[in-house]
Amino acid sequence: MLTSKHPSPFTSTSPVRALWPATLLFVLATGPAVARAQWLNYPTPGIPRLASGAPDLKAPAPRTPEGKPDFSGMWFANVPSRDSCREKDCIQEERMAREQINLGITLKDGLPYTEWSREQMKTRRANGGREDPHSYCMPPNFPRAWTLPQHSRIVQTPSMMVVLHEFNAAYREVYLDGRPLPSNPNPTWNGYSTGHWEGDTLVIETSGIRDDMWLDIQGSPVTESARVTERLKRLSLGLMQIEIAVNDPKAYTRPWSVTIEMALQVDTQMLEEICMDNERDTKLYKK
Amino acid sequence: MNLNHLSRLSALVGLCLALAPAAWAHHSQSEYDLRSKVEVEGTVTKVDWRSPHAWVYVDVTNDKGQTVNWSFELPSPVTLMRRGWTRDSLKPGDRVKVSGAPARNYPAIAIANSIRDGNGKPLFTGTTRIHEP
Repeated sequence: MLTSKHPSPFTSTSPVRALWPATLLFVLATGPAVARAQWLNYPTPGIPRLASGAPDLKAPAPRTPEGKPDFSGMWFANVPSRDSCREKDCIQEERMAREQINLGITLKDGLPYTEWSREQMKTRRANGGREDPHSYCMPPNFPRAWTLPQHSRIVQTPSMMVVLHEFNAAYREVYLDGRPLPSNPNPTWNGYSTGHWEGDTLVIETSGIRDDMWLDIQGSPVTESARVTERLKRLSLGLMQIEIAVNDPKAYTRPWSVTIEMALQVDTQMLEEICMDNERDTKLYKK
Repeated sequence: MNLNHLSRLSALVGLCLALAPAAWAHHSQSEYDLRSKVEVEGTVTKVDWRSPHAWVYVDVTNDKGQTVNWSFELPSPVTLMRRGWTRDSLKPGDRVKVSGAPARNYPAIAIANSIRDGNGKPLFTGTTRIHEP
């Protein structure tokens, strides 16, 4: 047998100490799964559960000792799994927010792009999206990161909220200590964020975003002139609502806002996804 | 192009992307011809279980009796693990039938849409196990 090689473009928590009865039932019910890879199916401790052992995701939103809503937890866009894939080939099926493609998909007239934005998007579309920073393994910039197919984890303290993100093991800081936004900051992927409380809503203000950021796969821009406001409401244990408001006169003719929902992810764990580990697709673009 | 045209185009692009049998984990997939289909049968030679996408390599004998090593792109290991897959789910030596969409610019490279064992049983089934609020 002859062998031919085609030329290739590639050069080459700590443990639960006390399990209450419901959780014990859950563990017993999912015994074989619990022993599987890492902690992908390990019961999340300290959350209310139903008699069946399933998490009571409709339970009231938890609160901090100071009485504020506690957003801590692992979050993903509130999209269902695809039952049709349980029996069929669905290799490429992904759970994904529709806003990942078009952040303004729920707006009747779409996002109010300026002429500059329309030209940007025309070029980005003509190039098949290959200039998307996400394709090149760049950081998961917020607010886009809420819609990506990787998970986020919020860690909340009285003076700071930290948002961890699986993609490139990234982080974002939101200061809750009353400091003002910086003036004339060095632009960054996530910008600079402060938060304050309006009742039970956490209002996060962000400025200092880089001038060449994308908000979605179709290339909706967000620029250095942007002021982004995210209003976080935890509606229940299992559900968080985020209103994303963008005021970016360079990219949009008027301020706009959209609202997305995030679902709490329990009995699982964050999984590291370092994009540059083995990125190959951008090499396939070039010839 | 006026705003309405752009909005309609955006909606169309969104619909097409939503319907595409493709992963959007980190790239647009314009490097693949998603309207074409390739089907091969062969033996797994290597599984590259790394981010941002896993790759499976399969030795395939072509019409001339030559062995061609195909590269098939899969979703990210993270996505696959959440659907119950592990790095050992496919192993070198496994006999598989793979179908997918070929790369536009390179031979013997494709994105996999179906992998079946030698008996035709689908190997990539299952959904992410989640609790829905």
